[in-house]
Amino acid sequence: MANWVPLWLHRLGSPPVFYRFAGAVRPWALGLALALGAVALYAGLFVAPADYQQGDAYRIIFIHVPSAWMSLFIYGAMTLAAFVGLVWRIKIAEVVAMESAPVGAAFTFITLATGSLWGKPMWGTWWTWDARLTSELVLLFIYLGIVGLYHSFEDRRQGARAACFLVLVGAVNVPIVHFSVNWWNTLHQGSTVRLVGPSHIEASMLWPLLTMMAATKLYYIASLFARVRADLIASEGGKAWVRELLTREEGAA
Amino acid sequence: MIPGSTASACAAVLQRDLTLAWRRRGDIAMPVLYALIVTTLFPFAVGPEPALLARIAGGVVFVTVLLAVLLSLDQLFRADIEDGSMEQLMLAPQPLALLVGMKVLAHWITSALPLIVVAPLLASMLRLPAAAMPALLLALAIATPLLSLLGAVLVALTAGSRRSGMLLALMLLPLCVPVVIFAAGAVAAAQEGLPWLAPIAWLGAGLVMAVVLAPLASAAALRIAMES
Repeated sequence: MANWVPLWLHRLGSPPVFYRFAGAVRPWALGLALALGAVALYAGLFVAPADYQQGDAYRIIFIHVPSAWMSLFIYGAMTLAAFVGLVWRIKIAEVVAMESAPVGAAFTFITLATGSLWGKPMWGTWWTWDARLTSELVLLFIYLGIVGLYHSFEDRRQGARAACFLVLVGAVNVPIVHFSVNWWNTLHQGSTVRLVGPSHIEASMLWPLLTMMAATKLYYIASLFARVRADLIASEGGKAWVRELLTREEGAA
Repeated sequence: MIPGSTASACAAVLQRDLTLAWRRRGDIAMPVLYALIVTTLFPFAVGPEPALLARIAGGVVFVTVLLAVLLSLDQLFRADIEDGSMEQLMLAPQPLALLVGMKVLAHWITSALPLIVVAPLLASMLRLPAAAMPALLLALAIATPLLSLLGAVLVALTAGSRRSGMLLALMLLPLCVPVVIFAAGAVAAAQEGLPWLAPIAWLGAGLVMAVVLAPLASAAALRIAMES
């Protein structure tokens, strides 16, 4: 590997560098996310054919499934950041993990809300104690517990470290919760999109789904970076680079 | 036992915690009273019909015991952190994980064991059939140490924070879902005359994992919480 990659990563661990990097990336990520999201929504709502069984009601899949993927993906990203933060004591990694939690909770909530909207016409009920629904609900509670623990400390850094540890405890527990709940009761349909082997979905329905997935990923990056920037300014308030930033902005205004 | 050895240190921590608990015997009765009162409320809330009560008895006993354990967990490390003995345990040459494990064991003996003793009473108040009683007791005997160990990790994490009571519930209860599923599942299977050893075996597997990992995790969490 070229030498500049670890060097660049090392420099990114410094708050002012990360602040500028996040500020440069964020508008692009947000713009792309909105553009891709608009394309995917149009394709999903107007171009893709109606389902032979579920009619037009299935179209909520274009919101529901990408959010469900994101709710798990963000937990994975958060676990990785929490691990890096705890082991190497990198402040940026801790902040990234902590600011991922509310975004993940939001996606989990969207998944639950759209799922119950979809469940009403299809299963005839808003909510059922099915395995997937229940483990998604438990995931939401775990996200909220992490956010709650982070904010219950006077010292932000200490709160972040404790909550990062909770993220790791949760990461061990989430698969156990998932399998035990599966064993308990299941009604939800199986996955239709697979990484390996043929997917059980028509190509004209698949590509809007994948586009939406890319859009939600980019939105996560944009939202995460905005939150991390705000968190860095708040927690590094006394440092010279923040003061410099403020005086420069006041001078410009 | 050789003085200063790991075994004697563990025995000393266990003995100290049990003595402290014995000096405040009234506190041991609290979780039991709480469980009795909560169980009494259920017939008022859902009606005294025996068939309905028998149907929900296993689940109600587990949730009640879970909540009683949750309430008592808050005290697990608090006194030691306030009077500084936790720092001494951390500075001790013996591994902190073992000493914390002993504290959890003492906590289980003083708060969960009395709950297991009254569990048959709670269950028969709710008309649980006698045939399901062995399953209930066995499931409780495995599930309560699991809850104590899992709870110890989370209590250690909140040790440095201001408000911990409700937060502990928010953090612990989602992680307890598998325990409740398997424990109540065993009782429900026993009630229907089905084989009930499989869920108990899963609980046992969970307990083995928790006995190994939870003291290590609690020790790491305490070090994070006591950093500043």
